[in-house]
Amino acid sequence: MKKIGFLVNPISGMGGKVALKGTDGQADYARSLGAEPVSEIKANSFLNSLNSNYISDILFFTPAGPMGEDSLKKAGLKNYRIISNPDYPSDAEDTKEACEAMLSENVDLIIFCGGDGTARDVVSVTKTKIPVLGIPSGVKMFSGVFAVTPEAGAEILGLFPDVLISETEVLDIDEEEYRKGNLRAEVFGIAKVPAIPHKRQGGKWVSSGSDERNRKEIGDFLAEIIQDDVLYLVGAGFTAKSVFDSLNLSGYTMLGVDALINREIIQKDLSEKDILNLLRRYKSVKIILSPIGAQGFLLGRGNQQFSPDVLKKAGIENIIVAATEAKLSVTNELFIDTGDPSLNIMFPDSILVICGDCMAQRIPVAGLKN
Amino acid sequence: MPVKILLDENEIPKKWYNIQADMPNLPGPSYNPMTKEPVKPEDLAPIFAKELIKQEVSTERYISIPEEIREILTLWRPSPLYRAKRLEKLLKTPAKIYYKYEGVSPAGSHKLNTAVAQAYYNKQDGIKRIATETGAGQWGSSLAFATRHFDMECTVYMVKGSYEQKPYRKMMMHTWGAQCYPSPTNMTNSGRAMLERDPDTSGSLGIAISEAVEDAATHDDTNYALGSVLNHVCLHQSIIGLETKKQLSMVEETADVVIGCAGGGSNFAGIAFPFVKDKIDKKNPDVEIIAAEPTACPTLTKGLYAYDYGDVAGLTPIMQMYTLGHDFIPPSIHSGGLRYHGMSPLVSRLHADDLIKSVAFHQNEVFKAAVAFAETEGIIPAPESAHAIKAVFDVAEECRKKGEEKTIVFNLSGHAHFDMTAYEAYFEGNLPDYEYPAELIAASLKKLPQL
Repeated sequence: MKKIGFLVNPISGMGGKVALKGTDGQADYARSLGAEPVSEIKANSFLNSLNSNYISDILFFTPAGPMGEDSLKKAGLKNYRIISNPDYPSDAEDTKEACEAMLSENVDLIIFCGGDGTARDVVSVTKTKIPVLGIPSGVKMFSGVFAVTPEAGAEILGLFPDVLISETEVLDIDEEEYRKGNLRAEVFGIAKVPAIPHKRQGGKWVSSGSDERNRKEIGDFLAEIIQDDVLYLVGAGFTAKSVFDSLNLSGYTMLGVDALINREIIQKDLSEKDILNLLRRYKSVKIILSPIGAQGFLLGRGNQQFSPDVLKKAGIENIIVAATEAKLSVTNELFIDTGDPSLNIMFPDSILVICGDCMAQRIPVAGLKN
Repeated sequence: MPVKILLDENEIPKKWYNIQADMPNLPGPSYNPMTKEPVKPEDLAPIFAKELIKQEVSTERYISIPEEIREILTLWRPSPLYRAKRLEKLLKTPAKIYYKYEGVSPAGSHKLNTAVAQAYYNKQDGIKRIATETGAGQWGSSLAFATRHFDMECTVYMVKGSYEQKPYRKMMMHTWGAQCYPSPTNMTNSGRAMLERDPDTSGSLGIAISEAVEDAATHDDTNYALGSVLNHVCLHQSIIGLETKKQLSMVEETADVVIGCAGGGSNFAGIAFPFVKDKIDKKNPDVEIIAAEPTACPTLTKGLYAYDYGDVAGLTPIMQMYTLGHDFIPPSIHSGGLRYHGMSPLVSRLHADDLIKSVAFHQNEVFKAAVAFAETEGIIPAPESAHAIKAVFDVAEECRKKGEEKTIVFNLSGHAHFDMTAYEAYFEGNLPDYEYPAELIAASLKKLPQL
């Protein structure tokens, strides 16, 4: 019998679509902006993907209510035990308390649905005593503890415990600072994870100063191919934003989406709604993106403003992707998780990624299409 | 049916074939980069031998190969033509595959065919030393060997990155008596200027050309030599295709498809031009002639047919050719010989006139084909030549699907004995699939010289 801790952070992931870059302390505000709970949907995808061959061999340990029990019930599962009774709305302390309870029940693995904030809370309790696995449902997922998709998470659980267990860094970013545009990915702690190649997100690869020159080449090239009267939506990250430096434009949003037309920034830190408004006004549009770290996530992590609606209106053929050579050297594949499987499969088998002056690399698109 | 089709030494061609006599259209004139006037023979005299300048503009169909040159060529020529039976079996293709192997030359590639001729004509002019550049080292080592034979000195400016990566190429040049320096050096103005700007630079072919040209222009007893691109280089390489045609006729074959890789265009010209003649003459009108390039530097496939400089600094004549822009520095792929922004004006013209075709491949698919070739035929192909092999694989696969018994012949221009680190990188999965983003660039073309 596999003893599995299962917990859901009910508020995680809500800030993404409304451009909040994290939901810590912002859940009510996010709700007021029209955000919907993400983690519950991801938890359902995960539980519904569990295979009947091994499900009877699992005993879940979970908090009562939205932090776990509700999702298990909804999936029609009865093989669980309640280990805590959180007061809702829940907070970080409830996550930690649940993990303490799971440890005292001697679970073999904790599976949680959340983002970097949830990972940090879980690992602050488990340390490296037992392995953990994240089902991606946060806004930021820079840590290496996440399965690529809920479905991949289910597959890993099926194989557990006959898998290699490795150690990975849990990263986190101060959300207040992140909203201001300061990206400081710090190592919060070390976690044990079931290691399956290409099934788990690698820790975000943080660019070093050595590829600054490469980034400038990319920015200069992008600046050179910028066309008049075309709306450019420039996504998060140093590399995508290098075009602004080359155009001598400052004050852009490092971790958000800014709009550029005729070499001027016309609107900053756009939400999905802002983008849709702009798309109504401008016919020609290009989206400039860079993949997120070693995970190779092009869409679906850190830039949820590019929602399925936005991508369909803008046209996926209008996406220009850029990344430094150093980043590409640790990015074997690009993952695309728009949130709409029918849109995911519209992407080609490989994407040309600008990596210098007049130069690109062809990188395969993997995983979620299959 | 023999595996090796061999000619006798006395069957080495006595004349080179000059395609300028038969082309439906000649390339436009080249222009002096300073005056923007058409280049006159006297403009080239300070750095090239008289006879080579004549050959550059000649429209005579056949040009005699001096006996002294043929005598040196006997060291490795005639080169063998192989029937790749084992490869055909692997590919399950009804096509017949032949390859002309130029790796039998002492320097390991086709480059020696023109190095010997260029050294000879310079010796005739009383030149004591030849300065040149080399990227991967094939051309530098070929010229080192050729100048040794005519008792001349040789100075090679080798791109610093390669100089450090390929110590054995450097030692070959030393063995044959040449001086080889990592470029940029502090011996020339262009080198010093570059070092001042960036002391840690790993150099580039463009800089090395500038250094060698400057060296030749500032020393009366010194001339310059170029290993590809120019018309006289393509002329000297025609010996490859001339021998191949003779060898195919020995086994009563006619080529349906002729394939070579193309960087500056000389090894491609060498195998292809005598076959292009048959296409123009309607002797073999349907022969398909294909140039294989890297996607990282797809000059014929994605470039623009225009006037551009032959080097980064803009010191060379402005030539009508396919170009990716003279300021385009291709990424450091492992096929150093194919990293050139331009293309031979003769090859370019033929491509513009639809007499030849081009295809481009990624590094990984090229090495995959190279390894399969090595496993069946034994020879480990130079990464450059492996582009031609990948093109052969694709044509052979087409033949398999359609049940066509085509005769494919390609130029295996060199071996990889000094490029094994490239294979190592391939096996370790460390080769990026670089690609020139032509569609994006088309929106804003790079600066080309105005005439």
